[in-house]
Amino acid sequence: MEAVEYFEVECPEKTGGDYYRRIADVVLLDHNLIRVIWKLHIFIDPRVPIFIAAGITRKIPGIVTIRDFSDVNIKDRKVTISIGDETYLAPLLQILWERFGKERVEQPDRFTILLNLDEAEAQGLPDLPVYDPSEALYKDLIYALQVIQPEGFKVRRQYYGNGRFYLVASEDTLPEDIEEMVREKFALMGETL
Amino acid sequence: MILVPVTYKGGIYRHDEIIDLIEDLGGYIIQKHLIAQEVVLQALVPKEDIDLIRRVGKPLTGEITSSPLVGTEIAVVTPSLEIHHLPHASCDVAEYIRRFGAKTNMVGLARGFGKRIAQMNDEERDVINEHDLAVFLLGDFESCIERKFPVLRRGINVPIVLCGGPDTEALKALIDPPVDGYVGGVGRFMHRTKESEEISKMDEVVDEVTRVLDKKREEMGKDPLSISPARLMNIISEKIDEVHEVLSPTPITVQMAGLRVKLPHDSFGSRIRNTEVDEGITIGDLAEVLPSRMRDYILVRIRPFSETNQIV
Repeated sequence: MEAVEYFEVECPEKTGGDYYRRIADVVLLDHNLIRVIWKLHIFIDPRVPIFIAAGITRKIPGIVTIRDFSDVNIKDRKVTISIGDETYLAPLLQILWERFGKERVEQPDRFTILLNLDEAEAQGLPDLPVYDPSEALYKDLIYALQVIQPEGFKVRRQYYGNGRFYLVASEDTLPEDIEEMVREKFALMGETL
Repeated sequence: MILVPVTYKGGIYRHDEIIDLIEDLGGYIIQKHLIAQEVVLQALVPKEDIDLIRRVGKPLTGEITSSPLVGTEIAVVTPSLEIHHLPHASCDVAEYIRRFGAKTNMVGLARGFGKRIAQMNDEERDVINEHDLAVFLLGDFESCIERKFPVLRRGINVPIVLCGGPDTEALKALIDPPVDGYVGGVGRFMHRTKESEEISKMDEVVDEVTRVLDKKREEMGKDPLSISPARLMNIISEKIDEVHEVLSPTPITVQMAGLRVKLPHDSFGSRIRNTEVDEGITIGDLAEVLPSRMRDYILVRIRPFSETNQIV
């Protein structure tokens, strides 16, 4: 975990804590999340029982728009989109179908999309948001934390926003002051929630 | 004649000679695997004839090794079959024990996860009790093991080997009343066991399982079985042809004191019960033929000498 600047596992049972340090390390590595996480603090108390993982992500790339991966050529009513990177083709098609209907979206080959749009519709098309990487990252992060947490902790609360994330889990009802506890963990990292 | 469990590995060419030899010497083939050009036999052979088999096998590039767990069926129990336990920990242990000849079955509990909420139902309990031994793989925290293990062991009457993250001494101190075996340092982990240190942990599990089963064998020796399970297996596979149509790798699984026959109990139970072992003696006289809780299989429990007053 050299890429992570701060990584601590806090646990009243020392051996258990050491095992969970290794588990967290392996899981984050397997899910390709090591490079995304900047700081991570995990707190486990099996006696309560409670699991808290709080952390901060590195700066992640912004929202991908059509302009970022293709050329948009507007001529009268005919709009041609030439795809440069196929990665975002599927979500783009979904958005276009939804917005204009399948009958108006033509795809003569893999890298070209033809649209028949009037001026108002074509306006701002290149800046149409297609894909938000932080959304996928959020899902991946929470999934990885669920794998790390002890099994059977079915009561969960999770949060992601402004580069900060946390997941708290327990098999009992979460205590009312849970947010306060999470704040304390952020304070240990020298950050605020 | 003392039969010892061994594994024979060799080329497929003329391997039938080895099978004939083992059978002629009075031994039993428990399981035969054909893997590409290689054959692996798990067998019980007379102790004094091991050298003879080794000599005959040598020109066929066969080697014979002792596998103490041949002829046993072991349950590897984990709190669930979710990603927290699979594939590592549970599969690694199950697979490693299998290398020493045991037939292992993985039992993932439906509601075994958590600390306070862990449970075991009657079907799981009965399935585990059909094995010779149960290896329980629990987690990394002492307080969890202490709290949930009493729930998981309730009603289990086969020997238990408990594995968990804390070291062996800590496990011993936690569990009351004591179980038969403990292996510490094998708790929850998410990586493959391939470093030498981890492999030696797996060896520790096998050693502990062997030790517990040896003790059980010793105790069973005081009141021997009416018929050896391996011999009963031979009789069933000779007299009930349908067994050969079963697609499982082991249509008849040999246990220490019985067999699991993978045929439906409703249609074959009474046929097995009435099968003749020797003149005038049927399987029903020497053993209980019961429906197994595992699918619709048949469980044959061989009675000891003290109950039947005969040894075949």
